[in-house]
Amino acid sequence: MAGKQIECISLTKQYNSKNNTVTAVDDINLGIGNNELVLLKGRSGAGKSTLLNLMCGLIKPTRGKVMLDNDCISEMSDDSLSILLTEKTGIIFQSFNLLPTYTVYENIEIALVPKGADRNLIKDNIYTMLGQFNLKEKAGLMPSELSAGQQQKVAIIRTLIKQPVIIFADEPTGSVDDETATEIMEHLLYLKNEKQVTLVIATHGNIPERIADQVFVIENGRLKV
Amino acid sequence: MNYLIKELFRHKWRTVAGISGYIIATLFILLVMSVTRTNERDSIGILKGTGTHFIVYLPSSTSCCVSCDNESSSGSLIAEGVFTMMLNSDLIFSIKEIEGVRDAAPYLLYRIFDKNLQSEVSLGGIDTTSIATKNNVCAATNVISGKYLSSDTDEIVAEESFAKAHGLRVGDTLNVYASKLKLAGIVNSGIKPGKADLYAPIDNVRTILKERMKCMSPGFDMNIVLVEVTDARIQNSVIRQLKERMNYLSVSSYNCYQPASEVMTIMEDTSTMLTALIFIFLIIFSAKTQLTSLMERFREVGILKSLGWSNARLGRQILLISLIQSLIGASVGVISGIILIFLLNNYNFRLFNTMEFHFQSGAIPILLLLSLAGGLLAGIFPIIKIYRTKAGDMINNYM
Repeated sequence: MAGKQIECISLTKQYNSKNNTVTAVDDINLGIGNNELVLLKGRSGAGKSTLLNLMCGLIKPTRGKVMLDNDCISEMSDDSLSILLTEKTGIIFQSFNLLPTYTVYENIEIALVPKGADRNLIKDNIYTMLGQFNLKEKAGLMPSELSAGQQQKVAIIRTLIKQPVIIFADEPTGSVDDETATEIMEHLLYLKNEKQVTLVIATHGNIPERIADQVFVIENGRLKV
Repeated sequence: MNYLIKELFRHKWRTVAGISGYIIATLFILLVMSVTRTNERDSIGILKGTGTHFIVYLPSSTSCCVSCDNESSSGSLIAEGVFTMMLNSDLIFSIKEIEGVRDAAPYLLYRIFDKNLQSEVSLGGIDTTSIATKNNVCAATNVISGKYLSSDTDEIVAEESFAKAHGLRVGDTLNVYASKLKLAGIVNSGIKPGKADLYAPIDNVRTILKERMKCMSPGFDMNIVLVEVTDARIQNSVIRQLKERMNYLSVSSYNCYQPASEVMTIMEDTSTMLTALIFIFLIIFSAKTQLTSLMERFREVGILKSLGWSNARLGRQILLISLIQSLIGASVGVISGIILIFLLNNYNFRLFNTMEFHFQSGAIPILLLLSLAGGLLAGIFPIIKIYRTKAGDMINNYM
């Protein structure tokens, strides 16, 4: 798998409870090239989200490793991982994960805090992005005052504002209506085609396979051949 | 900093709960300090002055240091029943230089056998103004009838036991020490190391011995030094220093300073322990509050981590929040404490009307520092938790 931007090597994740061990991801090997759009498909509970979390370094594997541009992120220190998450990767969650006590504007702004960018520049960028998603007037609202689709758009803006080169998205259209889903996918495809962003998207099947460069089907934590 | 302030204001109740812990703890520590200060002033103040005195003299095997040219006397300088040598007044200054000595006073104690009374009669010449005389010999407060010594050269006061033994009354004239001495008052000085039968001002006694008794001795300054120390707890140290400098002298104390010193140490240890206990509870309570507060927003912290916030940045924020809460809590606690102490002292609360609370302004910086230390310690546990947990586990496992 030489030349791959992302490589999963014998990747395994197990969760231990009192009486049993659950294997969420079981010995997965895969490679993703630069500027590819990859779909991780599977039913709920198949292990897609766990695999995605492992790939972006949010959780540690039980065995195996994840290489990102030849850096082993599963063995990375938290500090190095913070830099990676700030500079290179972005994550879109299925459940939006917006901070409930912060406004729309602040929720986006916090993603830029680690970068320490100029405040005026930040403000301009945020309002430009909000404009692109038709949310400019919602900047001062709290997440609870937005619809699910609007919340997902805010979560996406929060990721895109950092200008990542790799985006990991967990069911980005799973909780939104069809119209919003189309709008979100258009944005993601724009990023792939115009900004050469690599996209790794976990989905249970509502995203057409034809747009993907690779599709990995996951069943019971294993890659289905 | 901007996010820090937002964090405090956006989670109002959590902030209030965090601050309340520090307010309560600070208030309690302040009240405990106030009560112990009152206790120290009243109880320790008394104990401090208990047994803080001793006498110093130079023993001798014979009374050869003086010879009295008087038919009615075969007297001698004594201290605690033994013959003593005459001492020079300069010794007072040397003793006063010792650290911890509050006062030192001369004492001239002479004893004769009086043929008229058919008994031994001791006469003590005292410096009536010295605190050392008050605690080692007698004082105006010991007068039980008549009056205390005045400048009248012929006036004396007698110990109650001596007066009773010889049937003396105030106003009587005693024909002793080759003099006619008027009994101005009767005292009961209790158990004192320099006790005598009769007392007169030291200058008068010097005149009596030199001019009327014709006692031959150079100087006639004194034969005993009465010493008062500042605190019972340092009496041992003062005596040790005195013996190191003048080892030829004899020192006599009733040693009642020792139990007083022990009681004071126990009381001070108890108050320190009580303060330490409250401080420990403050830390436990604060740590619990901070940890609970973090657990409530653990998922949020995980989200911030997933956005690239470093552990150091998050830790710094949590520590600052904890320190700000502790500082606000301690400040409000101190102000509340001052108001409470004022109310307790000025209004008749039934439960506390026998107590008086003393506010110590010196306690404010200590309390602020204690609270900051509490905030610091309370902030450490959540930070350790952040460092040990991955962002994904925070997001997935905490709601």
